[in-house]
Amino acid sequence: MPEPTTTTAPAIAQLDTSLAIEVTGASYVYPSGHVVALDGVDLRVERGEILGIIGQNGSGKTTLTKLFNGLLKPSAGRVIVNGVDTATKTVQQMAPHIGYVFQNPNHQLFARTVQAELEFGPRNIGVPAEEIAERVRNAVEFFGLQDVVDEHPYRVSFPVRKLVGIASIVTMQPSILIFDEPSTGQDHQTTHIINDLMRRLRDEGTTVVCVSHDMPLLADVVERVIVMKETRIIADASPREVFADQTLMARTNLQAPQSTQIALATVVPLGGPVALTPSELASDLERRLTAHVPSTKITK
Amino acid sequence: MSMQMALPIAMIPGNSLIHRITPLPKMIWVVGYIVLAFSTTNIVILYSMALFAFLIAVISGVTRPLLKACVILVPIASSLLALQIIAPAVEKPWTSVGHIGALALYGNGVYYGFVLLGRIVASLIMALVVVMTTHPSDLFTTFAKLKIPYTFNFMLAMTLQLIPVFQREVGIIMSAQKSRGMKGRGFSAVLPSFVPVFVGAIERVQQLSISLESRGFGSAGIKTSYRQVKSRPSDWVVAIVGVVAIATLATMSIMRGTWNLSTVILFPHAFVFWLFVVAASVFAAVILVTVFYMFKR
Amino acid sequence: MPEPIVIFDDVSYAYPGTEELALRGVSLEIQAGEYVAILGLNGAGKTTLGLCVNGVIPTMLGGELTGTVTVAGLNVIEYPVREMAKVVGMVFDNPEFQMSQMSVAEEVALGLENAGVPYEDMKRIIPETLELVGLSGYEERSPLGLSGGQQQRLAIAAVLAMKPNILIMDEPTSNLDPIGKQEVFDMAAKLNRERGMTVIVIEHEVEVMARYADRVIVLDKGRVIMNGTPDDIFTRVTELATLNLRVPEAARVATLLAEKDLWQGPVPIRTEPAITAVNELLGATHA
Repeated sequence: MPEPTTTTAPAIAQLDTSLAIEVTGASYVYPSGHVVALDGVDLRVERGEILGIIGQNGSGKTTLTKLFNGLLKPSAGRVIVNGVDTATKTVQQMAPHIGYVFQNPNHQLFARTVQAELEFGPRNIGVPAEEIAERVRNAVEFFGLQDVVDEHPYRVSFPVRKLVGIASIVTMQPSILIFDEPSTGQDHQTTHIINDLMRRLRDEGTTVVCVSHDMPLLADVVERVIVMKETRIIADASPREVFADQTLMARTNLQAPQSTQIALATVVPLGGPVALTPSELASDLERRLTAHVPSTKITK
Repeated sequence: MSMQMALPIAMIPGNSLIHRITPLPKMIWVVGYIVLAFSTTNIVILYSMALFAFLIAVISGVTRPLLKACVILVPIASSLLALQIIAPAVEKPWTSVGHIGALALYGNGVYYGFVLLGRIVASLIMALVVVMTTHPSDLFTTFAKLKIPYTFNFMLAMTLQLIPVFQREVGIIMSAQKSRGMKGRGFSAVLPSFVPVFVGAIERVQQLSISLESRGFGSAGIKTSYRQVKSRPSDWVVAIVGVVAIATLATMSIMRGTWNLSTVILFPHAFVFWLFVVAASVFAAVILVTVFYMFKR
Repeated sequence: MPEPIVIFDDVSYAYPGTEELALRGVSLEIQAGEYVAILGLNGAGKTTLGLCVNGVIPTMLGGELTGTVTVAGLNVIEYPVREMAKVVGMVFDNPEFQMSQMSVAEEVALGLENAGVPYEDMKRIIPETLELVGLSGYEERSPLGLSGGQQQRLAIAAVLAMKPNILIMDEPTSNLDPIGKQEVFDMAAKLNRERGMTVIVIEHEVEVMARYADRVIVLDKGRVIMNGTPDDIFTRVTELATLNLRVPEAARVATLLAEKDLWQGPVPIRTEPAITAVNELLGATHA
């Protein structure tokens, strides 16, 4: 267990910019020099946006998000996060700006207790002790970790460990948060908590980037979807537009949520909306079905 | 996504003459090289061995990866030679060949330095060429034929296999820690990563043991082998030539009391002086670069 | 009717060193050639159930098992896991953790080598098995260099080589991307259809299971609480919701409408029937 460092929070140069992330012509080539993982990507993410990134493995999703927090530096082009050029900063220096929740919590957790795990991040970036205590209390409550705060992170069940992994980043309260496959291997219950969390973060104005194969999750929470294929961004639109584009979905071997698929083959040809969730589809159908019922009654 | 990191020493696929030789003759050559290297102090033999091994590498088409792996020789060679010049490992009296400041340089140890280096270089190149031209599975099948226990063999193979996996795991874990703003450099930064690495390793082993047991790994009965290593006449020729050549040279060396040529091959004073300057500078540069990278991270 | 291939008779089990029962009085039967989906929250006992079928529980992991598990007529506690391997093949969620060999062919060979199968037979079985999982031509590749979907298919090939009648897959696609997922499920469906393989899948994705499974078993806190056809189970929307389990979106849509008396007829769980039903409904209204 490392001694927490007690340096003060680094002064974050708040440049006058409305952009959370600005990627210009960024490429990434693996050090071996053979594999191009990202090829001339341009992307602008506004503050407070909630963004999903989809695509098959190897399409460059994870590489792109690692450029955001400086884990990788672009081989060409620029990545500006909160007005800071990531090329000039270490990952540790980027940590107060941007949080990164790894796919596998086992890669992230190492403290003796869940409590210590949640305190670790904020302490590293110099948050005052009282403030840390407050944030940890809130996180414990939100994620329902009351019963496990004194447990070793590896003694709790995998789904709970996943939540601890997420909570350990949330307590750092970064203005940008990246999730890598938050719902992988999770049951509906845990996915639900993650879902709620993303909404809450959005309401608080946090910029959220979510890399996921879980289309229903994205359909439910994100406002914008980026589709990646073979190292490039090939589409950037609302989930409604993306999921409605059957050619795009087929090209990338992705499947829209079932509700969207049903809507596309039923109400959409009649001029109806592209539903993203069961309740959206149900309410559209309800409107259509009830709109006619009174009229038939009247003619009787 | 496949993220296979190439080990510096791994098989380089190919179909050269050398690739096609079965592991046993190759192993005979490696063992023979080591035996000969340590039974002679004749630098002509030692460096001819190194040259011969290098020629085999060229024939096998593994020159580039071999040279890459041989980078490890740079610090070894430079430190070894520099040390032999300032503190020869031979009996006094030493003859001074010059001074750098207060540092006295001697020529007496240079021959011995080249002998040590020649032994390392020759054995290392031969061993690397064999590793790079032999499928690991064939090697392990041969080990099994030599009655090396199955479990030992399996564990060795597994370990080789898992090195790149663990390299990758450690990389991911370090990234995760850094993303949480972890400060500190060197050992203190690596330390917390050990917990996840160990937990990951234990989970992997538990899972693997269930998976292996379900495939009959623990069964006591007779095991068969899918990989068939069949020796052809050419393999026998290679093995016999190896044994004869090495045995001859080794016997000749031993008959001549290691065949030491230090009284025949003499190094001019200026050569020793400049050799030291070059070796010491290279070694210093290696140290500086290493330290620089450690702190940069 | 033939004897069921898997029979759980009042099975309870606690892992070594724990008091709490991971399985509580489980009784169920699985027929040969069935495709069965096991659902439940994490910790409901799904993996434990799978490990009982291939005998890892209790033979290898210990713990206390009461009741009897009979697989292909064998009482599992009487046979070592390696014997059960000839009847049951099991693969797990992380394909990489199941790889141990230098090449794809050797990974498949491992089980055969351990069983002492002669070289000549292996030379025939290995290409056959790789063909079955669509990995022909990958024989000499390193397992660790394959994609996740390929690795998982290799893990399946490695158990299929032993010619089991039952294939158990424990969240086989949770670490895979959508292509990999499709590869694995398509292959399992093919084995089930064409070879009559009994397939047991532990899986969270209900839309996928609605498409493939003949039967769904729902576990909660170690008990079997539902056991029926996908159409029976996935239409019990409210019940599943209280268990925190998802249902196919098609079923959700129909149920939401049924609550308002706008949906008559059966609740669909698959995409195509749902589309047909919705179009009929809209057509009727417009007519």
